[in-house]
This record gives sequence, C-alpha cells and structure tokens, in this order.
Amino acid sequence: MPPSIHPVQLISVLRLKSLTPAIIFLTSRRSCDEALQSFGQGGVSISPARREGITAVLEELTVEYPSIQDHPLREIVTTYGVAAHHAGHLPSWKIAVEELMRRGCLDAVFATTTLAAGVDFPARTVVLTQSGVRRDQDFTDLSVAEVGQIAGRAGRRGKDSVGFAIVTPSPYMDLGVLVRGLTGRPEPLDSQFVISYPMVLNLLKAHPVDHIQSILAKSFAQYQLNEQAERLESRHEKIHDKLVSYAPRECSDWLTQWNAYDHATRQAAQKLHARRHVPPEVSERLPYLTPGRLVTFPRFRGVVLRSYRSRGQHRDMVTVLRNGGTVAESAVADITSVGSRCFDFTPAPAFPWANQETLAWLNQQLESLPKQSPAMVMSPVIPEESGDDLVKSLGDLFPCPTCRCRPTCAKEFNAANKLKQEALHNARSVQSLRTGLWHKFQERADTLHELGYLDAGYKLTSDGDWARLIRIDYSLLITELIRAHAFNGVSPPVLAGLMASISYDNDRPSSFPRITAALAALVTVARRMADALAVHDDPPLLRADVGGLAEQWVGDPTITWPQLCRGTSAAEGDVYRILSRTLEYLSQIHSLHATHAELGAVAAQAMDRIRRGVLEELP
Amino acid sequence: MTRNDLERALAELPFRLLRRLARSTVGPHILRSGKRRMIHAILAVSETNPERIDAAIRTARAEQQAIEAVPAIVPDADAAQKNKPVDLGTFLEGLGVPEPKPFVPDPWQLEALDALLQGDVIVSVPTGSGKTYVAVEATRRAMMEDRTVVYTSPLKALSNTKFTEFKKIFGPESVGILTGDRRDNPQAPILIMTTEILRNLLYDAAGGEIDLRLDTLGLVILDESQFLADPERGVVWEETIIFCPSQARLLLLSASIGNPQELAAWLTSIRPYPCHLVRHQHRSVPLRAGYLHPSGKLTPLFRTVSMPPSPSQAVLHPEAKRLFTQYEEDTLHTRRSG
Repeated sequence: MPPSIHPVQLISVLRLKSLTPAIIFLTSRRSCDEALQSFGQGGVSISPARREGITAVLEELTVEYPSIQDHPLREIVTTYGVAAHHAGHLPSWKIAVEELMRRGCLDAVFATTTLAAGVDFPARTVVLTQSGVRRDQDFTDLSVAEVGQIAGRAGRRGKDSVGFAIVTPSPYMDLGVLVRGLTGRPEPLDSQFVISYPMVLNLLKAHPVDHIQSILAKSFAQYQLNEQAERLESRHEKIHDKLVSYAPRECSDWLTQWNAYDHATRQAAQKLHARRHVPPEVSERLPYLTPGRLVTFPRFRGVVLRSYRSRGQHRDMVTVLRNGGTVAESAVADITSVGSRCFDFTPAPAFPWANQETLAWLNQQLESLPKQSPAMVMSPVIPEESGDDLVKSLGDLFPCPTCRCRPTCAKEFNAANKLKQEALHNARSVQSLRTGLWHKFQERADTLHELGYLDAGYKLTSDGDWARLIRIDYSLLITELIRAHAFNGVSPPVLAGLMASISYDNDRPSSFPRITAALAALVTVARRMADALAVHDDPPLLRADVGGLAEQWVGDPTITWPQLCRGTSAAEGDVYRILSRTLEYLSQIHSLHATHAELGAVAAQAMDRIRRGVLEELP
Repeated sequence: MTRNDLERALAELPFRLLRRLARSTVGPHILRSGKRRMIHAILAVSETNPERIDAAIRTARAEQQAIEAVPAIVPDADAAQKNKPVDLGTFLEGLGVPEPKPFVPDPWQLEALDALLQGDVIVSVPTGSGKTYVAVEATRRAMMEDRTVVYTSPLKALSNTKFTEFKKIFGPESVGILTGDRRDNPQAPILIMTTEILRNLLYDAAGGEIDLRLDTLGLVILDESQFLADPERGVVWEETIIFCPSQARLLLLSASIGNPQELAAWLTSIRPYPCHLVRHQHRSVPLRAGYLHPSGKLTPLFRTVSMPPSPSQAVLHPEAKRLFTQYEEDTLHTRRSG
C-alpha cells in the first residue's frame, strides 16, 4: 500500500462522494506542484462545458492581469479542474485560482498551510494530510488555532449545508494533534511587543521623555506583565502572612542575626576541625624539618629535602633522601626521631629538590654517619586557644549563645529564611515585570544617543528627525549607511540591489543572476556596517546574490518577466516578493526626499523602474 | 472447551467486556487493536494458560448477565442508537446546497454593530461565520455620519481582495488603497491598507504632520487581529491600537482565540470607552470530520456525526481507529523493511 493516497485517486473519491470542491493542504510547495502534475498522467478530464467555464473566467481576468494569459499551469487547470495555490506563484495567478474557486469552477486546490491564514476562499471540504508545519528549519505541530483556520475553510455559507474536514494519513502524521486541533480550544494570544529603534525615535518625536513610560504602560505587553505581577503580588501577600508567625522576638531582625551567628559558628567549627587533625607530636616536629635535617624512620634513615602538606588529605609530609640514594615521600607522623645534625645544601625548586651532585654528596654523608646519631630535644608545643573558647568568644559578638530564643531560632531558621528569600525574589521579579519595558526603552534610547540620533535630553537631533521616517527592519543599518555617505553617487539598480539584499530574510539556497562590482562593493560596505552595529541590532542576512535579481530588473529595462525568472532558480512568487519588498524599502528611502534630495530621487527612479510588467498588475 | 468454542464464546462477548478481558489476560497494549486481533491474542494466551482464560470468561459472562438482569438500567433504544458509532450514510447525509434563504443577520452580528455605537468591539468567531458582514455594515453606518473608515489587514493579498469587494459594494470612487509604495484614491472615505501603513500614518500624525483623514476618522477595522501574537509583526497591531485616535471606534475582527476577554479588558483599560466582546464557537455551516484511508475507504473520524465539544470527549470512530492503527502498522513495516 502506498504511504499516502494518490492525488488523482483522492480527487476521484471526493468526486464520487460529492465532497468537491475541496482544498487539499500539503506540506510543501513542491508536493502541491507534484500533485498537480500527476493529473497529467491518469487524471480524468472534466466535461467540455466546465472547461469552457474555466476558460471564460480566465479570459475575463486576463484583462486585468495579463500575466495569466500564458501561465504554464493554465492547461492543467482547464483540463482537469484542479489547481495549486502557494507562495511560489504570482499574486495574479493566485487571484485567478481564488476567483475560479469562488465561482465553483474547480474541483480541488492543492495548497500549503500558509493559505489558511491568508486569503478568504472556502470550499465544501478541506483535506488534512499532515499534523506538522515547517517553520524555519524545524517541523512543528500545528497549533489548535492553525487547525481551526484550516477547518474554517470547510463549508461555504449559503452554498453548503455541511462542511467536511477529511483527515488522510501520511507518514509521520500524528492523529492526536489533529484531533486536538479539531476539537480543542485555541491557544491564548500573547503579546510579542518589542521596542525597536524607529519606535523610540517616533515616540520621542511626539512625546516628551517623561510621558513615555505611561505610553508603554498602555501596551498589551505591559497589561499581560501587570497581570503576571499581580499574581506574584498576591503570592507575596501569602508569603508575608506566613512570615508574620516568624515575627521578631528578642532581636528586631533575628533572621539576619541568626544567619550571621550560624555562619560564624560553622566557620569556627571548621577551623577547629582543621586544627584537631594535627597530632601534637607532629606539630612539635614541624619547625625542625628544614632541608638537610637528618631524620630516622623505623626502617631507614634519611635527609629531609623539603617538607609540605599533602593536598588531598592535608597531612604533613616530607621528601626524604633515603640511605641508598632513593628520593621518596614519607609522612611526618612516621618519623621516629629527628636528628640534631643538619646538612647544609642549596635546595632546588623542583624534583628531586637538589642537584645530582648534592644528592650524591648527601648520600655519602649519610653512609658515613655512625649508626646512632644524637636526637634533637624538642620543646613541647604550647596548645593554642581551644575550640570551646572560640565558640564562647562568639558570645562577645552575638547575643545568641545565651539568648532564650536560641532553640526556637535554630529550629525555625531554615523555613523562615526560605520564605524570606522567596519574598525577596518575588519583589525583585515584580519590580522587573513592572519596569522591564521602560528599561528596554532606555537602553535603546541610550544607543541612539550614543550614535547621535538623540541628544542628552532624549530629544531628536537633526539626524534623528529624518531617521524616524525609516520604519522597517534593519532601519539602524540603513540610516547609518546614509550618514556614512555610502549611497553617494549610487545608481538606481545598485540601490535597489542593496535594498533587496537587506530585505530578504530567507536563507533557502537558490541561484540568482550575477551582481556588478558596484553592488558587490556596496554590499561589502553594508556588511561591515552591519557587523559594527551587531551589538545594537541583529544583522540582516545581506545576500548579495538576491540583490543581483533586483539590480538586473531595475538596470535593464528591456528584460521581461519570464527572462528574469529564467535567470534564477527561485520560484516566480519569491521573485515577485523580493521585488515588492524592495519597493517597500525604496519607498521608505524615498520618504527622506526632503532632507536627502539626491538619494530620494534615485529611490524614486528605482521604484519607477521596478514597477512594470507583472509588478504593475496589483496595487 | 475447544479452541473453536472458545473463539465463539469470545466473539459473543460485548466488545467492552472483551476489552477488559483482553486487558487482564494479554496486557494493555492490545487495547489499540480491533476485535479480531484481540480474540487471537487471547486465544494465544489460552494455549499456555487455559484455566485462567476460562475463569476470566466466566466472570465476564456473569457480569454480562448481571447487566442484562437489570432491565431498568438498560438505556432506552434511542440512547443505544445514539451510542452506536455513526455510519457513513448518516455521516454524509444532508450534504449539498441549502435552500436559498433570505439573508437575515445573526444576532451576534447585530450585537456587534449595536455595541459599536457605545465603544470598541472585539469579534472573535470561527472562520467563515460572517465577520465581513459586520465590517461592511459598520462601514456603511460610519459613512452615513461622514466619517472616514480605515480597514487594515495583515497581508497585501487580503487588502487587494477587500479592495475589490468594497469597490463593488460602495462604488469605486469611495474606496482607496494605500500600500508601501502606492496610493490609489487616497482621499476616499474608505481606505484599505496593511496594518503597518496605518501605524506609520499614526506616527506621522503624532509627529506633527497633520493628516485630515485622521481627524475625521470614525472607524478603524483591524481584520485578522490574531496577528497581534505574530512573533515578528505583532508589535505593529499593539502600536496601532495604542495610538489609534480616541474619537475613532476600533473594530477588531479575529478568528477564534483563547483569551478574547483578556484582550477586551486591555482595550477597556486604555481606551476612553468600554470594549464589548462578541464571541461564540458556533459555526454557521456545521463541520464534520472524516477519515480517508489511502486505500480510498472513507469513514467518519469520530463516533458522533457532529464534532466533539472538547478533546477529552473526542472518541474516534472504531473503523477510523482500526484503519489508522492498521496504517501505522503497515507503514512501520514497510519503513523497517525498506
């Protein structure tokens, strides 16, 4: 059995059960096109009367949209009564498909899920073949709202008494997601408010800086943040109520007091522990274990080369040259007696802690020593302040040791301290929820001040006054380029090319026409600028190859739409989108004509040249 | 009991009891399978442990008799009929073109229009229930008061559709369209634009450039307002709503969303007049869900004809469930071997 139903069979089943017209939602543009092409082999053609109907509608639309005339898909659409509708097509063709659907001329349209959110064209039936949708690089599950949008296309008001949503399986489809989507409640809307540079400039143009905070407070973002803050505050009250039972007793702030006391006690105990570890016989020997000292162990004698404290177990150790010439590590505790003899030599800083000659000489001395050598008489170590005294001495600093609350404090400290920390954390969160947006605004405003669009009083400078008119993504990059005179003497095609490469945010690889050296140079300048601004604003992709497309269309007025599309592997719809986005960016540059007459004129020229052929069909 | 007897006895058991039996003897994984598969699994167990199966069948039968012995509790025939999964004939029943009816606006549409007299309105209803009617009527009313109307949509394509539609209704001279780089009849009383353009107009006005159109602005219609939550462009909707002149009414049209009350409460808190929320889940054309197997077999997706009201009450049609399980098994198999 095939992994999913064949499009031709799917349509014939739908026709048989009178479930047409239908919209079939597929994963990708490619699968839509392939589904359509498969009708070329084995599709059932529609009746001549219906064919004429479709042709008539298309003829009618051709008057307004000439690009429909020779559309390559026209043949399939008129023969089989099916069409594809996705972002790879020209808007005019999409309008034609929508119109055909609205008039009931088509049996089925293969579409991607972008259609669901886009245009208004219902059908009797929608067919769902997937539970996921491609977003950026990932495949994510359709949300309830998205499934709702898709299912919402089923059932035309006044033309159908029932609408149908048909699920047909394909590999990797999760039926659960679709069942949830068809029956569940849509997700809540969450604010996506971001503070952009143009927003800061435009707000400061119209309002003094002390009004800004109250304006930001009107956003849905702040409304939702406030709701969150209120929830936290109500929890805060509860915590406060609980903290009341841990009210002040003997001292006003017993938590801090106890915390400090507890800390001090712990530290004292640690010190004690470290000290107790050293037995007295070891500590009394330590001062004598200088390099060159003769020491006796139960089974050998040796000369101390160095003494140290082992890192792991914190034991006092010595490195000893044993009789026989070996250098070895031994514990101080193992020494049976410390000799009164001390050889004089210069120790080396690393193993074996003395040079070879010295070692040989020391060994010789060892061998020549009599069996019994006089032992050192050691003075006993005076024991230092004992541990109990140390804890008692805390009594001078803290009232706690003798306080009558001491047991209760000790018992309740952990619980109370946890509550107190939570309260503090809460208060901080509430604070940041309430003022976060304003701080973000200040951060942006400071950047703009640094760059010279705002003066110290957050008023617009002359540069800021025109820069606020650029209200698109990457506005900072564009205004900085203008201020750096990067556009001096730029030609319309090169300007259009750069705007295309700034505006295009898709990294899907495709091939585009070659670019000229002038555009390449400008893109390099822009890239360097974008990198310098990267700390303030995410840099655009700046694909030079995309720029080539706009450059060619603007630079060569004789080139036709099919010729342009032949020069690239991008779909027609994408080419259209690149150019119409470029138009939008150019019109923003054109809006600066009052202050930048020359640049404005170039932008206007570029816009004029873009708007021809297919680009002129729609407003 | 021979194997055949046992098989017959199992087949006679009601499916509910069979499921329970299968669950206790074979294990919970068997519950995803159909009846036949379940019986085979139980028979396989019975070969190794016949006493256990016999005992289980006796208990099941006793339960069945206990249920049958209390006729009062047995639901009446209608309910039993209701409990039966819907068949394909009923599922496809009523399909076709409805009788042409004179258009009568739905109560919620009138409610939205009346509420616009008092303040802002949010309409959150399923796709295709007739939001456009509200937009058109509200526009007509504003036009009668010599007010400018701005209609915004998130996409150029939608703007174009609405431009054509409104020109047909109100005449070409009274509808204009503004895009990023072009203005078509920009002094018309009805202006269609993308939300970004309106945002820019509002910023220009706030910056001191006087635009007469904004002074006479009476109504701002924001279509597809659920775009407010769009990660990249959502901020534009917020800016538009915040800076919308206070004398203009806002009409937010949106598909079903999860938290329209929150949105309405927000609007009420920042706008001079209260915001009225119009919402419902009722589709004007009822929806039914079906399952189409790659073999070409069509069955209802759910047990009931109409859509279950919530995911917890969504019970798959046994046939759809069986086909889908089978599909998963088959594709899993081919995937493994291929």
